[in-house]
Amino acid sequence: MNLLSIRQLHIMGKQNHIVKGLSFDVREGEWLAIVGQSGSGKSMTAMAIGRLLAPNLQAKGEIWYEGKNVLTLSDPAIRRLRGKRLAYIFQDYQSSFTPFLTIGQHFDEYQRTHLALSKQARRRQAVNALASVGLDGEIYSRYPFQLSGGQLQRVSISLALLLKPDVLIADEPTTALDSVSSFKILELLSRLKADTGCAILFITHDLRHVRKYADRIGVMKAGVMIESGDKNQVLNHPEHPYTASLIHASRSLKKSSMKHEGALG
Amino acid sequence: MELTINKPTKRNGKRAVIFTVLALTMAAAAYAFLFLKHDPALVNLGERLSPASAEHPLGTDHLGRDVLTRLLLGAQLTVGYGLLALFAAVIFGVPFGLISGFKGGAIDRIFMRVADAFLAFPDTIVAIVLSGLLGPGIENLLLAIVVVKWVNYARLVRSTVITERQKDYVTMAKINGLSSFAIMRKHLFPHIIGNVLVLSSLDLGKIILLISSLSYIGLGAQPPAPEWGAMLNDARPYFQSNQSLMIYPGLAIVCVVFLSNILGDYFRDAFDVKKEVES
Amino acid sequence: MSLLDIRNIHKTYDNGEEVLKNVNVQIESKECLGLIGESGCGKSTLARCILQIEPIDRGSILFKGTALHNKSERLLKPYRKNIQAVLQNPASALNPKLKIKESLIDPFQQYGSQIDMKHFTYPSERGFIGQLLEMVELPSNLADRYPHELSGGQKQRVTIARAVSIEPSLLILDEPASSLDVLSQASLLTLLEELRERLDMSYLFISHDLSAVQEMCQRIMVMKRGEIVDSFEKERLFCEERHSYTKELLSLFE
Repeated sequence: MNLLSIRQLHIMGKQNHIVKGLSFDVREGEWLAIVGQSGSGKSMTAMAIGRLLAPNLQAKGEIWYEGKNVLTLSDPAIRRLRGKRLAYIFQDYQSSFTPFLTIGQHFDEYQRTHLALSKQARRRQAVNALASVGLDGEIYSRYPFQLSGGQLQRVSISLALLLKPDVLIADEPTTALDSVSSFKILELLSRLKADTGCAILFITHDLRHVRKYADRIGVMKAGVMIESGDKNQVLNHPEHPYTASLIHASRSLKKSSMKHEGALG
Repeated sequence: MELTINKPTKRNGKRAVIFTVLALTMAAAAYAFLFLKHDPALVNLGERLSPASAEHPLGTDHLGRDVLTRLLLGAQLTVGYGLLALFAAVIFGVPFGLISGFKGGAIDRIFMRVADAFLAFPDTIVAIVLSGLLGPGIENLLLAIVVVKWVNYARLVRSTVITERQKDYVTMAKINGLSSFAIMRKHLFPHIIGNVLVLSSLDLGKIILLISSLSYIGLGAQPPAPEWGAMLNDARPYFQSNQSLMIYPGLAIVCVVFLSNILGDYFRDAFDVKKEVES
Repeated sequence: MSLLDIRNIHKTYDNGEEVLKNVNVQIESKECLGLIGESGCGKSTLARCILQIEPIDRGSILFKGTALHNKSERLLKPYRKNIQAVLQNPASALNPKLKIKESLIDPFQQYGSQIDMKHFTYPSERGFIGQLLEMVELPSNLADRYPHELSGGQKQRVTIARAVSIEPSLLILDEPASSLDVLSQASLLTLLEELRERLDMSYLFISHDLSAVQEMCQRIMVMKRGEIVDSFEKERLFCEERHSYTKELLSLFE
């Protein structure tokens, strides 16, 4: 079943037309990956879904969620939606945190806005949430700058999933991390998706991050979805030459390197 | 990649006009003696406080001296001394800041303590105390201004250098074999020059105000020097009857301060490589 | 004799953190050695130590048998022309206030008279810069641009051109492609492979991307928390004898 339906979405800046008539669906509990280079409009699309676009950008079209068009919802309604049903994680994990608040204070603020829990219950929930992303409870009293990039991104994932959203919109969450940490984050996301059943809309420029976990793939170029479909179909039988070049550029480990040694040179 | 063309904007055009006016004013002041027929210090009590006439376009003051002559020569004095003080402060402050910021360590720590000591007191107070101690006179006033102002330049340059020297391009310059001096000259200087010009053109206004206000209270230029602040002071007793005596030097100070601020804006834009392209 | 011989180097930061523990690396001439590890494992610090940007506490760094470590800047200068570098972030590796040509000519101005000029000619500064840009597949009219007018991939090509302009024998590549998008990454690595063949250079290729290292390098070293834990020929990447940490990395990249 479709959870989120985007129909004929246009995003316009002052002079440029960034997204041009984009339509796609996010199904319940699936991992949909949107792949494209910088400037293809993929991040703008992600922001438009939660009405997070900068004021100088305008979104037109329809974004259907539970029978309502998100683009025409009132401000309080969109805020309720954003907090509880749609969750975000971003590439720039550093600026997602206030530097002078501890991780625990970030949790506390979030919980008090959305949940009615006692102080002890809040803390218990936060520590459990941290444990679910493989972090130690002592992180609770640390400051953001004391954590590594991978750890901070884990914290933002645990915060995003705290209220059990229907969709997690992940805007290049691994781009700023080294590839070891990013593969670990991907593994974590896939496990959490299985545990909580939330759908993931995963925005990336790197097909390698998609190969293993995504269910479906959409490829964007210059504001248009040029190809979309089942993961295996897109990866193995790309129709568009651009998709083929992206696949070609995403190196993967060559297991049979012994045999092809000469060819690899 | 798109090619961006740097179009001269309307604002730049206006700036250019103002810039030219400023340059002309200064040139006129510098060569005032070529076309002025009155002696600025010549006392002629018979013509004291006379109104504007063909002979004296702006009238005469309480000692019968020609106001226009004194105003123009005052520009020479006030602006000239202002520039001199500024130049000395920059010459002294910039190398200090460069070395302190780039080398760091003990040199930097000592410098910071000295700078803190200077910054702990307001400019005007230090200038008043110093010229009071050294005795009134324009030379001592200039010395006091340099002492007060050089710290600002050293601080500005130091903080720019400290931010820039951590960047990879400075590391790469080291790897490429450039000496510390070459790095400062080729890589750090372009970052500093813009900032220093902006600050100094804004400072020029402040320094002129400082010279004038200290001269006004009698610590700067001594009579009969036609310094604008001193002229204001001289005109004070005649405020009721001959307002124009105070208005002319006052206006002159306002104009120069205003122009120096515009000049500051102009430099800020001119040295911003990125902005040129975006416009 | 190895081109670069690093023996038992140790480095501890002022806060007591041991960044490098007994690191041994030998780089032969014309080889491409890969160094892989997570961020924070000390691989960039090792690069900075080799480049003599940071001092080492113990051990030795020998270039063709001559000790480089903890030498004064004046004594070091003749060696700097042999070891050049390309850093991770092209945006900060070029001075934003200087035109591309002014940044490009930096090393040549220092060492122009001392190099053999096996691969370039110097008809004029303009001609030389044109050659450099052409070699990294950039149009020569970029010479008069400022860095912010170039894309990330183009900037990185400029820093590569600058590094090879004095024909170094060793190039330290500290994650040269990680800040670029996938398509630019692929073409940049291809360019680097071609240049190594053409200019007879050795590479120390530092990366957190195992697939890139596998593609570029003959020999691979694995670094974890300041120690080299594994070292092997590329062909033996999937062998049973690999260190448990290497296997962990492999499982992530599959």
